[in-house]
Amino acid sequence: MSENFTIPVGPLHVALEEPMYFRIEVHGETVSKVTINAGHVHRGVEYLITKRNVFQNIVLTERICSLCSNSHPQAFAMAIEQIAGLKIPPRAEYLRTIADEIKRIASHLFNVGILAHLVGFESLFMHVMEVRERMQDVKECTFGNRMDIGANTIGGVRYDIDDERISFIRQQLSSIEKEIDELITIYSTDNSILRRTKGVGVLSQQDALDCGVVGPVARAAGIHYDVRIKAPYAAYDRLDVAVHTFQDGDVWSRAMVRLYEARTAIDIIRQSLDSLPAGPTVATDERPPIPAGEAIAKCEAPRGELIYYVRMADSPKPERVKWRVPSFLNWDALGIMLDRAKISDIAIIVNSIDPCISCTER
Amino acid sequence: MNFLKIFVRNLVNGPSTVSFPFGPAWTPARMRGRIEFKLPSCTGCRACEQVCAPGAIRFDKTPEGLRFMMWHNTCVFCGLCEFYCPTDAIHQSDDWHMAHAVDQKFSMAIRELIPYTNCSACGMKTLASAPNPVGINPPYTPEEIEQHRQLCPACRKKALAERGNPS
Ligand code: SF4
Ligand code: SF4
Repeated sequence: MSENFTIPVGPLHVALEEPMYFRIEVHGETVSKVTINAGHVHRGVEYLITKRNVFQNIVLTERICSLCSNSHPQAFAMAIEQIAGLKIPPRAEYLRTIADEIKRIASHLFNVGILAHLVGFESLFMHVMEVRERMQDVKECTFGNRMDIGANTIGGVRYDIDDERISFIRQQLSSIEKEIDELITIYSTDNSILRRTKGVGVLSQQDALDCGVVGPVARAAGIHYDVRIKAPYAAYDRLDVAVHTFQDGDVWSRAMVRLYEARTAIDIIRQSLDSLPAGPTVATDERPPIPAGEAIAKCEAPRGELIYYVRMADSPKPERVKWRVPSFLNWDALGIMLDRAKISDIAIIVNSIDPCISCTER
Repeated sequence: MNFLKIFVRNLVNGPSTVSFPFGPAWTPARMRGRIEFKLPSCTGCRACEQVCAPGAIRFDKTPEGLRFMMWHNTCVFCGLCEFYCPTDAIHQSDDWHMAHAVDQKFSMAIRELIPYTNCSACGMKTLASAPNPVGINPPYTPEEIEQHRQLCPACRKKALAERGNPS
C-alpha cells in the first residue's frame, strides 16, 4: 500500500533549531519531490551594516553566524584592508589562522555530534560535545568568549598569546587529538552510524559541480576545492594544509571530511604555534582612515567558501556589503540529496550540509 | 564496540559538568564580561562610543560637563571599546553574573560625568578629562595627568611643547 502524501517539515526544527520550510511529497516512505521555502527570518543585516561604521561592523558581521563567527569578520576585515591598502603584520596573520582553525574544530565537532544525536546515538552525541567542550575552553581562555571570539579587527587581531597560553593550547590540542582519532575510528566502524549514513543523501560529483556546492559538502563529493589552498589568505600560504576529499558524496563522507579536517586543524594550529613570528599584532594602533573603493575577499569558513564584497564611499559607513555565504549554495543541493530518500533520513541529510540559516537569510 | 570503551571510561571519570548555581563555576582570567569604567582615566575622546556596535555607550553634553552613559543590557561584550580606548579607562572585567530582576533594569548602567572646570592657566571653561597619552614619550606621570586635567586644550598643547615631547 503506497500512497502519495504531502508533509510539511519545518519551518521549525528540521535538524537545527533554525527556521526553514520543506514541502515534501512522499510516495509511501520515499520522498518524491522537495520544495524548499526560504524567507522565514529576515534580520536586516544588509541594511544594518550600511548604518554602522566599519569598526562597528566587525562586531555586527561576527554575529551573522555563531559557528562561522570568526570567518565573517575576517573576510570583512580583509576586504576593508584591501580598500585601505593595509598590510597586516605577520604575527597577526598567524594569529588569524589559529583563531580560524580553533573555530573550525569546534564547528565541525558540533556538526558530527548533531549527526550522532539524529541517528539516536545520544551517548556518542554527549561524548562528541564533551570533546568539543575542550575547544570551547580554549576559546574562553584565549579570547574570553565561547562563540563570538572577537579575534579580528581592521588591520590585524585583537588578541595575543604568550608562552603560558601557547602551552595551554598545545596541551588541549594533544588531549583532543587522541579523542578525535578515536572518533574517526568510531564514525568509520560503528554500525549504528554506518547503517544510517552510508549511501544516504548521495550527491554525485557532477551534481556537486552543477550546484556549485562548497566546503565539506563539495570535498565529500570528490571536489578538491579549499580556499585555504586555492587562494591562501592569512598565513595559509606558509603552512602545510591537507585537503581531505571523499568520492561517495553521502552523509557519511561529509561527516568524515569534517572529522579529518578537525584533525588537520590541530596540525595547522601546531605549525602556526611553531613558526609564530614575533612583532606587533595590528598594522596601526589608531583607527585607520578608510578611503572610498571596493573590494572582494574570501575565506574558507567551516561551512565552505565565504565571499564578501564591500563598497566604501566617502563615509566611514559602507555603501554596500554583499555576501555569498556557503550554505546558500549547499541548500540547493538538498533537492538532489533528498530525492528518493526515506522520510526518516530527512533530518540526517539536512544536517549533513551543516545548514546555516542565520547566514543565508541574513 | 569501540564506543563501549569510551562509555566505560566516561562512567569511571564521572561527570564533566559543574553544579552551577549550587557550586562555583570556573571563570577564565580573560573572560570578557561586565564593563567597568574608570572616570579619572577617561580622556573624553569618545572612541568607545564610535566603535560600540549596539550603541551601549553614549556621551551627552550637559551644562555640568560631558556625561558618560553605558547600558549593560545593550552591551554585546565585543571588547572593541576596551581595544580602542587609549587609556584603558573602559575595561571588561571577568564578571558575568549579570542576571537581575526586571525592576532593576534601569540601574544596570554606568552613569558618570566628566565635569567642566576653568583652565588653571587661562581660565577658559574646559573639560576636566585626562590628557590623551597617545604619542607621549616619556609617558605622563600621575602628577602631570592631574596638572593637565586642569588645562584647556590650547594650554595643554603649550605645556606639552614646554615639556619637550620628542614626537
Ligand atoms: S564591549 Fe562592545 S558592546 Fe559592550 S560597551 Fe564595549 S563596544 Fe559596546
Ligand atoms: S578615553 Fe576611553 S573611555 Fe574615555 S572616551 Fe576615550 S575611549 Fe571612551
